Amino acid sequence: MADYVELMGFGPKGWGLLMAQAALMTILVSATAFALGGILGALVAWARIEGKRAVRVGADTYTTVLRGVPDLLVIYLLYFGGSQALTSVAHLLGAKGFVGVNSFAAGAIAVGIISGAYQGEIFRGAFHAIARGELEAARSVGMPRLLLFRRIIAPQALRFAIPGLGNVWQLALKESALISVVGLTELLRQAQVGAGSTRQPFEFFITAAVLYLLLSTCSGMAFARAEAVAMRGVRRS
Amino acid sequence: MKLWNICAAIAACSLLAPAVALAQAKDWSSIKIATEGAYKPWNFTDASGKLIGFEVDLAEDLCKRMKAKCEIVAQAFDGMIPALNTGKYDAIMAGMNITDKRKEAIAFTEPYGRTPSTFAVLKSSPLAKLPDADKVYSLNPEGLSVAEKSINDLKPMLKGKVIGVQTSTAQANFLEKYFKDVVDIRQYKTTEQHDLDLAAGRVDGVFASISYLKGVVEEPKNKDMMLAGPRYGGGPLGFGVAVGLRKGDPELLAKFDAAVKAAVADGTVKTLSTKWFGFDITPAH
Repeated sequence: MADYVELMGFGPKGWGLLMAQAALMTILVSATAFALGGILGALVAWARIEGKRAVRVGADTYTTVLRGVPDLLVIYLLYFGGSQALTSVAHLLGAKGFVGVNSFAAGAIAVGIISGAYQGEIFRGAFHAIARGELEAARSVGMPRLLLFRRIIAPQALRFAIPGLGNVWQLALKESALISVVGLTELLRQAQVGAGSTRQPFEFFITAAVLYLLLSTCSGMAFARAEAVAMRGVRRS
Repeated sequence: MKLWNICAAIAACSLLAPAVALAQAKDWSSIKIATEGAYKPWNFTDASGKLIGFEVDLAEDLCKRMKAKCEIVAQAFDGMIPALNTGKYDAIMAGMNITDKRKEAIAFTEPYGRTPSTFAVLKSSPLAKLPDADKVYSLNPEGLSVAEKSINDLKPMLKGKVIGVQTSTAQANFLEKYFKDVVDIRQYKTTEQHDLDLAAGRVDGVFASISYLKGVVEEPKNKDMMLAGPRYGGGPLGFGVAVGLRKGDPELLAKFDAAVKAAVADGTVKTLSTKWFGFDITPAH
């Protein structure tokens, strides 16, 4: 036990600081991805509800494909494919050598567009849960579209979406572990490095597991609290 | 509308400009080298996050010989070759064995280290008595028939056993080629994962580079493990560990080749490997 405390501590031989930094990186990359997914998800939901046929088909294809292919494949495609595409564009403009996709950006974008596919479905479901009468009432008093969105749709749809969003956030948190393949030092990659460097894999993987659990439990509590706040005006039947 | 498009195009170009400026012509005065940072003692990380190990020291020495400024970056082992080919870095020094399969994708220098591969098992296992212990066989053409005879001698004892190996390695290819018909090969993402399963009894043995396994069985917590059976090198197990480079960079290959040859010739590889491995891994040329 004392050995473990020294190994994971913050002393000169302790890996505590590195593990904490990696956990922070996991939070950062998941949060960025989740936020990006939120924007994409809102666009997809809008496209599928109100869009013209072509837009709707595009959004449908996006959610079907991104939810249907392995996440790791999306990450590889974006990271290696993205670098290749960027490099050849830069070569067209007369540059030599390599133009890279930053590994944080590649990872966050990859997890973000996967998250966006799921969030789109959640937002769409949440929109349909709004009573149609409220929308009609708003339109009948001549409420402009943006105001209608801000006052009627967004607050109610978000309320219905919170439990689903909590799920998708946990997915993003765990998918962030896949980003280790692009060279980003997040929690799982750091645990692998520590395990290979000290030959004490058990200690490192247990620590990583506990940290992941801590992150997901704390964020789960935050979502429960958000749900309670959002539902405070609604009578429970 | 047209004016808008032109404005957008100019904006896009100016956004790209800094990236373009970074990607200048290559005179190889600065080189970016990738390593895994999790493969003791070849390359690993200390508790402060610093990369250390045999290859880190050797890279520094090679760069001095090439009069280049080097940056070493840590990167997960899978995905390393495609990332090299897309140009994320210029060289790989990550305990990577030269194999025919890898040679299809990238170029290699002369080897700077060669360590045969062998089995590790639990002392209580029947495999502890594998024949030919500690004998070294070469799978290169000149020694192949002798080596194949020893492989056939092993097969009766290994029949139906589960052997762990790290995936996409030369060792995995070796097992697939020679033992697929008798052994249940279980592939792992990292070597320490198969060590854990060996300790837990979930596999009967593991097959890996001796430079790695020697360190493993010497750990106090692994006192139940031991090396077993003969050692194999060459052929599908790789012609040695070398610097991996893009095929499109012959000048860089020539530079690295000269530096590796010089480091092998003047004993630098011997000194460094004795420091990190406890034995000499200089390949015989």
